[in-house]
Parts: sequence; C-alpha cells; structure tokens
Amino acid sequence: MAEQAANMIELKNIVVKFGDFEALHNINVDVKQGEFFTFLGPSGCGKTTTLRTITGFIEPVSGTVNVNGKDITHVPIEKRNIGIVFQSYALFPTMTVYDNIAFGLKIQKLKKDEIDRKVRDIARKVDLTDEQLQKAVSQLSGGQQQRVAIARALVTGPAIICMDEPLSNLDAKLRVQLRNELKKMQRDFGITTIYVTHDQEEALTLSDRIAVFNKGYIEQIGTPNEVYNHSKTEFVCNFIGDINRIEPELCKKLNLDENQNHFMRLERIRVNREAQEGEAVLPGEIESREYYGLYIKYYIRVCGQIIKVIERNDGINIYDPGQQVSVGIHTRNLMSYPKQ
Amino acid sequence: MSTLNKKPETRLNASLIWKVFGIAFFVYLFFGFMLLPCLNTLTSIFTVKDPTTGAIDPWAVIRFFFAGNMPKFVLNSLKLAVCLVITVNIVGISIVLLTEYFDIKGAKILRLGYMTTLIYSGVALVTGYLFLYDSDGIMTTWLSSIFPGMDKNWFTGFNSVLFTMTFACTSNHALFFRNAIRAIDYNTVEAARNMGASPFKVLLKVVFPTLIPTLFSLTVMTFITGLCAMSAPTLLGYDSINPEIVRLAGSSIADESFPQARAALLSIILAMFTILLLTVLSAYERKGHYLSVSKTKAKLVKQKINNPVANVLAHIYAYVLFVIYMTPVVMIVLFAFQNYPSLRSKTLSMDNWTLINFFGSQDFEFMTNRGKYRTRPGAISGLFANADTVGGIRLSFALSALAAALASVIVVVAVNYIFKNKGKKRSVVLEYSLLFPWLLPTILICYSYRTYFNSTDVWYVFGQNLYMRENVRFLIVMAYTVVKLPFALRMIKAAFYAIDEELEDAARNLGASPLVTFLRVKLPIVLPSVLAVFALNFNALFTEYDMSATFQSSYGKSYAMVIQNMCHDEGRDGYNVNASGRRCASTVFIMIISGLILYLVYGVGARDLGERLERREKRRQFWRKITGRAGKESQKTAA
Repeated sequence: MAEQAANMIELKNIVVKFGDFEALHNINVDVKQGEFFTFLGPSGCGKTTTLRTITGFIEPVSGTVNVNGKDITHVPIEKRNIGIVFQSYALFPTMTVYDNIAFGLKIQKLKKDEIDRKVRDIARKVDLTDEQLQKAVSQLSGGQQQRVAIARALVTGPAIICMDEPLSNLDAKLRVQLRNELKKMQRDFGITTIYVTHDQEEALTLSDRIAVFNKGYIEQIGTPNEVYNHSKTEFVCNFIGDINRIEPELCKKLNLDENQNHFMRLERIRVNREAQEGEAVLPGEIESREYYGLYIKYYIRVCGQIIKVIERNDGINIYDPGQQVSVGIHTRNLMSYPKQ
Repeated sequence: MSTLNKKPETRLNASLIWKVFGIAFFVYLFFGFMLLPCLNTLTSIFTVKDPTTGAIDPWAVIRFFFAGNMPKFVLNSLKLAVCLVITVNIVGISIVLLTEYFDIKGAKILRLGYMTTLIYSGVALVTGYLFLYDSDGIMTTWLSSIFPGMDKNWFTGFNSVLFTMTFACTSNHALFFRNAIRAIDYNTVEAARNMGASPFKVLLKVVFPTLIPTLFSLTVMTFITGLCAMSAPTLLGYDSINPEIVRLAGSSIADESFPQARAALLSIILAMFTILLLTVLSAYERKGHYLSVSKTKAKLVKQKINNPVANVLAHIYAYVLFVIYMTPVVMIVLFAFQNYPSLRSKTLSMDNWTLINFFGSQDFEFMTNRGKYRTRPGAISGLFANADTVGGIRLSFALSALAAALASVIVVVAVNYIFKNKGKKRSVVLEYSLLFPWLLPTILICYSYRTYFNSTDVWYVFGQNLYMRENVRFLIVMAYTVVKLPFALRMIKAAFYAIDEELEDAARNLGASPLVTFLRVKLPIVLPSVLAVFALNFNALFTEYDMSATFQSSYGKSYAMVIQNMCHDEGRDGYNVNASGRRCASTVFIMIISGLILYLVYGVGARDLGERLERREKRRQFWRKITGRAGKESQKTAA
C-alpha cells in the first residue's frame, strides 16, 4: 500500500541530548503517506524520544523534522497538526467522554453545533455510543478508553497520528483484540501512523514497516518479513522473536564459518522428518517440552547444545522427554553475522 | 521532558510580566510577613534598655529569665508536653487497636465516639469539659452530692489540662495511626501465627515495628502540641508558655520589667524547641518507612482476644474510654436545648425543652437583694440573636474564609510553578519559603505581628499601624494565611503529584496554551484537594483560639474569644444568664459546621466524575419515578 506513496515524514540527522547524555544519534527515517510505521526496541532505546521529537515535545540539538516537505522542527506542538494517543491515554478525568473528544475543537473555538457534529461523527466511527459519550472516562473499560483516546486524537483532523505504546496497560487478551481493531481503524481512516512499542509481536502484526532501535541508533528499517527473516544485525535477530544461537561444536558439525555468529529461528528446525536436499540431519534427545496448544516447544539436546524447536501440534507426533529424535537443520535458514 | 519550542514574542512578554509580578509577590510575602517580623522579635530580646541608665543591655532579658520565675513556664510546658506524649499515645493507640485490630463488640459505635474530636476540638472542647467538670459542672454537682466534702474546684491546673488535652489530641491517632494499622499486610500476621506466635507476640513483634515511623511522627506532633498548648491552660488555669506570652504581650513597662522582650524570649524558646523537634522528625522520616514487599496485600482481619479475662477487660476499657469521649458531647447537645432554669440546676427535663439558646430572645426576671422583682429585657438571647455572638461568628467566618481562600490560591499558584520548574533552585527556594512558618510556633508569628506592625514605621505597609482599629482584621487574615501555608502546600503538592504528566502533553498537543491547560485540565483535577484544604483550613480557623487571643481587641473579637467570654460571663446573674446555654448551642453549631465540612471534604469531595454522574442518574431516575407517578395520578384524577 505504502510502497508507491511519497515520503510524508522525514527525520534527517536527528540528534537529541539530555544534558550530556546523547539519547538519539543521527536518526534518519522516512515515513510514507498512509503508512503504519512502528518504532520498535527495548526500554531506553530512543523510540519514544524520536516520537516526541516528531510531535514537538522535544527539540533536537541538530537535524530536521519535515512533514510534507515542510520543516516543522521549531513549530510549536499545538501547530503541528499531529494527533497523539498516549501510553496512559491521558484522558482528562474531570471531563466526560464527550468533553474529552471535544476539547481540541473547543480550543479551536469552533461553533457548538459543529463541535457536536464532529464529536458524534468520530464517536460513531470508533464505535462509541451516545450513551458512552455522556459517561466519565473512569466508567469505561480499557478498550473503550483506547477508542476515546483515538477519537480525541483524530477529531481535529490531524495529518499524522502518533501512538506511544497504547496497548501496554492492557491484559493479553484485550491487547490482541484491540490490536486488530487498531489496524482496521488505521486502514479505514487511511491516516499516516507512527506507533511505538517494545512488543515485537505487536510490531510484526500491525506494521507496514518497522524501525528497530537500539541505544539511540536505528539498527534496521524494513517490512516485518525483512526484519524477522533477514535481520540486518545480530541485535535485530536476537530482539525479534525467539532464536537459537549455534554453538561452536554444532558449527563444526554443520561446517559453518567459525568467524561468524550463526542463528536459526525455532520454526526452521524440523524434527523426525525426511531429510531435504542440503539439510543436515543430526541425532538428538528431547530434554523437555512446553505445551502451548497450537504448537509445542521442545528443548532438544543436539551435539551437547540445547536447541529450541517449535512443532505444530497435530495431536499425533508428540515427543516425550528422553525420546530420541532426528533434527533437521538447513544452512540456508541460518542468519550469520561477523563476530565482534 | 523539555518543551523548548520558540514562542511568539507577545506571549513571552505576558509571561514575563506574570513572572515578575509573582516573584515580587512571594518576596513581599516572605520578607514582609514571615522573616522581618520574626527577626524583629529576635532582635527585641537583645535591644532592651536599662531603665536606670537608658543604655542598651543585650543580656538583661536573659539575666531576668534565670533570675525570675520565667523558667517555670518553660518547665511547666515541657512537663505538659512529656506527660501528654505518654497519655495521648496510650489513649490514641488504644482507641485504634480497640476499633481496628482487636475484635471488640460494637466497634463501629466506639469508633464514632472516639472520632468526635474531629468535629469537636479546641476551645469548644475545653469549654465542653468545663461544662461537665467545672465547680458547678454537671459531674462535679453529681459527685459532690455523693461526696459532700469534695473540693468543687478540683478540675483546675495541670491534671485537668492533661486530662482534657489527652482526649482532645487523639484526632491524629484516629486518622493516621488508623490508616497505618489498616495498611498492614495481613499475610505477615498470618505468617507469624503460622510459626506459632501468640496474638500479643504478633502485635509486639510484627505489627508494632511497622507502625513505629507513624508513631514517631505522632509523638513529635503531640509533643509540639503540648509545648504550644493555649486554650486548655488558659481556660483551666495552668502556667505554661503560650498564655504567659499573651499576658506579657498585653502588659506594659509600668506593670513589670520589659514584658514585650520577655514575651519575645519565650516565643523564641518555643521556636527553638519546635525547630529541634521538626529537624529530628524530618531526619527520621528521611530514613524511610517500612514498606510491605507483598505483591498481593491481604486485608487485616480483626484479632479475637482468646483469653476471656483479657477480653472482658478490653471491652470494659473500650467502653470507659467511649463514655469519657461521649459524655461531654452528649451533655452539651442535650443541654443546648434546655432552658435557663434547667441549665442552672444541671437537670434535664423534657418540659424545659427550648430553642432559645439558638434563636430569639426573652426577658429575664430576677429578685434583687432588697427582695424586689426586676426584669432585664432581652437578657436571655439565643446564639443567633445575641449581637456579641453573631458579631464573633460573622467576623470569624469572614476572616477564616478569606484566609483559607488566600492560602489555597497562593499555594496552588506556587505549586504549579514548583512542578513546572522541578529540580531548579528557584522552585526549591519557593517551596522552602512557604514551609518556613511550619518551623515557627503560631504564637511567635502572632506575637511578632502584634509588636512589629503596631507601629507606623513599617514602610512596606505604607506606614499604617496594622494593630490599630479595623486594621487588626487585615493582620489576623495575614497571620491566618501565613500559618496555614505549610499545611496547604503539603496537601496540594500531594494532589499535583497525582496529575499524569501526559495529561498536560495531551492538552498542549490539542492546542491548549499553558494557561488554558492549567485552568481546564490541571486545576479541575486538583480542585477537590484544593477545596478540601480550603475547608479544613476554614474549619480550623473558624474556632481558632491562639491567634484570636493574641490579636484580641474590640475590632478583632473572633468567635473563639466570644466563647471564652461566655465562660467568664456564666454565673453573672441578671446580665448574661444564658451564657451557658448559648455556649452549648455554640458547640452544637461548631459540631454541625465541622461535621458538614468533613462530609463535604471526605464524602462529596472524594467522589470522582464517574460516581457523581452515577448519582445524578440515580437522582434523575428517582425524580422521573416520582413525577411519573404523580403524572399518572393526576391523569387518573382528571379522568
């Protein structure tokens, strides 16, 4: 969808400092019109700082923030036309849902009936009923509060919407449900979205493209498939999803370059299957297993190393601890990086 | 977070003007009404002139202090403070353990009784005890009928002050010690029991150690209360520091040697003790508190006293305390609705039921020494019909409301600034300057005002003598405000901590200016706390005694002084015959006001928007039901 579109947001050589500490080192990002772009990384890596630089809460020491070709680096927060959904939602507790959504419109001094029309219009789009509009925000569930936060951010018609870990305060089940709703809403509104998260699963399922942050640098920008299957750096490879690091003894067995670190995703290793061309089949013993329902995770001892493997649960081929199995590893599935 | 965006020049200029105005105001307030008057008091001790030579003798007051009877007042205050720490802790801890920790029958009713001091304190409480135990008090009358030889004036001096203050000063225990007990993780109690500890062992070894920080704070606060005691020693006759300061402040050189400088010395001694104790307290608080490390805290379950004898004794003790707490309150309420003969004979009767102590007036007929009957028109007048009382209520109401509002506004503005400039030197300076009055005893501030502003030489108040005529009201408002600043700061600052920083960001992002963000987002959030501070300060000031006594004049006769005068007027036949009844009515009135304020603060004020909307909806449904039914009935009638 976003492949052909022009760049809407451009961060050029952004450097942010807090006192002597440099939080962002020369960040360069291009986000396309209508794209769902995610900043992913562990805590303190600079993803929220980058978001706050775009929204105007932080001014960079150097570099520029361009939106639609215009330099907005020094434009005040309120004049950037960027909506924000905060981690805590930041809904005003002393106002009703209606007043929360109408806040920005009232600041713009729109007429009462126009405010009313816009509020009800956006509320309908995010599935909020008239009855809910009259409630206090504390009377809503977590999911409903998230919708209010989105409605409030969208009602003023921003060109971009920024979301700072909006699902992090919710329980696991609700997160999955709202993740899907979020994606659907973004598609319906077609608005350029910047999403901050530390949850790789969230990033992979929601995003058109992902920027993986580490210690104030961007390690890789790419589609979910690119960052997952073709991780550019060892950090990205380790951070995104679970992974096996191939130890030296196994490296020897597989004839791998010892000057590199080799990694393999869990689902790429096959258990008790017929050998494919170029695949090395090694004997192994099941050490333990974790039952997840949809799949089973095995810990298998191969050449003295514990290898993690995920097998689809077909209800038939379930292996017990102590059972001898054959483990198939194809070197084309390896991700290798020079040793540092 | 840093918001460094360039702002339009006009806004910068406007904010600069506000900033300059704000700084000027706080500098004026701090130097003009906190530091300079108190420094003047301090210097006045060392600038006393020798009456014979006329030369300045810096050590004259100090010499006088050690040569005269002044140490007596200090020692008496210390004695009261030490004893009070013991008795208040015993009673305070008892009432909380009996209602919150041990399983005592009727705990809810007991708690209500023990908490009466929240709505019935200060001068009202002391006069209530006097009503009971005075030479012609109900209890004294009753006791002397049983023991004819007893001294009717038994309720005076140290013992009576200690007794009264012991039961008057447990409010903090009832609030803070109770909260500390309720915060105990019951799992720790269960764990100790599981390991074989007896209930009392658990109390001593597991529960009490976690309560020590709270108890330490309460002990220090009680000690300061004892040291600075005013209304009880004054009304019950005990020579302690505060009443002596007020007496000396009103005295003149013609009567005794340099009374003002002696008063100043006493107030500085009091300040030194207060500063020392608060330093110890804050050093102790810095060590930190015991925090439960439990992920899931269990609610405290009341402990049964298994030993039957101990159980009976605990119940007896609980109800004896209840009777001590409740008797003055019940008696005052009942006698507030009794007429003059009933009050005089201290007997209750349904036939003597009246509202005259509250409303209206009537003539008083009495027999003269010559055996003739005379009538004094309107001598019996109710609380709201007596010009003196109504004047006192009005004045106290106006001054307290004004000061409470002023303290709240000053602190809200200051705290908003402090939070915006967190970690910067200027915000630290502002915070400490507002906490400054906390270090000084109220009496020092009042005494300093009284002496410093009783002159036309103070240029920054335009050469006005603020102690003269109506000006004293301004001085009272300033004293009330300054004294209440530290409490307001602590409470409102806590409320500001509760504001999620993202709310401010969200408002800014939606286009709101800093002023609009403050007025429409932050202020509504802290408003319940601000109103609570206003209400609690108003409540405390409305019947405040210490400052009223210092500033007492015909232009500044507050409600507390009116109540005190009622005590003096009682027994003066023919003139103020129903002072006793009006005093009872006054106490009832104060209890209603205090109760109402506590209900508004902790009942209504604590509700969030959700709860308020739910209640509104319920009210609507109720009225719909009523009006619907009424509508149907009228339709039926019409049909």
